[in-house]
Amino acid sequence: MAEVLPPADADLVSATLGGDDDAFAELVRRHKRRVFGTASRFARDDHQLDDIAQEVFLRAFRHLGKFRGEAPFEHWLARITVSACYDFLRKERRIRAQVSLDAHDFDTRDTKLDAALAAGRARELVEYAMRRLTAEERLIITLSELEERSIREIAELTGWSEANVKVRAFRARQNLKKILEASHER
Amino acid sequence: MNDDAEQKLDALFTAARADERDTSRVEFGFETRLAARLREESGGSLFAWAWKLCPFFAALALAASWWGHVNLRAEAATQIVAEATQENAEQVLLAYMTGVSR
Repeated sequence: MAEVLPPADADLVSATLGGDDDAFAELVRRHKRRVFGTASRFARDDHQLDDIAQEVFLRAFRHLGKFRGEAPFEHWLARITVSACYDFLRKERRIRAQVSLDAHDFDTRDTKLDAALAAGRARELVEYAMRRLTAEERLIITLSELEERSIREIAELTGWSEANVKVRAFRARQNLKKILEASHER
Repeated sequence: MNDDAEQKLDALFTAARADERDTSRVEFGFETRLAARLREESGGSLFAWAWKLCPFFAALALAASWWGHVNLRAEAATQIVAEATQENAEQVLLAYMTGVSR
C-alpha cells in the first residue's frame, strides 16, 4: 500500500490562503522549532521569546500571499524571523536607553572570560556583553558566531550586501572584544 | 588585539553555541496562543478599519459644511436680486433691453 506523503509547505500555504486555518497551524508546527531556536538567541526570557515567535508567525500569516514558492518556505520564514528579531532589538535598545542599563544586568560575577568558561556560563557572559552592542552588531554576531551562518546567508537574510556584512561583522567582533576586555579589567 | 584574545573569544562562542536554551516550555501551547491572537486580530479588523476611516469622514463633514455655507451665500444673493427685481421690474426690463442702467 502506498504511503500517504504529508502535504508540501507550498500546498499548506495555498490551503491557508484558501481559508484553511488548520493548514497554517500545521505550518507553525513544522517550523516553530527553528524560529524558537533563532529567537532564543535574542530574547532575555520566555515572555520575550513568545512575543518574538508570535510576531514572526503573525507577519508570515499577513504576508503569506507574497510567498511565491521560488525558495523553500523555511528560507522565507527565516528572513521574517531575522527581521522580527532585528526590530525587537531596536525596540529593546530604545527602551533601555530610557532606563538605566545596569537595571537590566543580571548576575555579573562571572564577567571575566576565563571564569565564565570554567563555570559553564559562556552563554550568560555572551548575553551580558551583547547587550552593550548596537542592535545591528548584536544581530550580526548572533547570526555569524552563534548560528554559524555564512556571509552570503546573512546577506540574504538581512538584505545587506556581502561586503557590508563582512565589515559590520568585523566591527561587531572588535567591539565585543573591547567590552569583554573592559569587563575583565574591572 | 592579540591572538590569545581572539582564541578566547572563539572558545566563548563555541561554548555559548553548545549551551542552547531549552524552549520547550514556551513552545508548549504556542499554536493555541497564536490562533487566539490571529482571531483577535481578524475580529478587531473591522473596528480598526472604522478608526482608520475617521480622517476621511472628518474631511467629508468639513467639505459638506463648506459647500452648505457657500450655497447659502449664493442663495441669499439670488433672493435679494429676486426681491429687488419684483419691486423694480420695469427698470430692470428697460436696462436689460437697452443695456443702460440708471
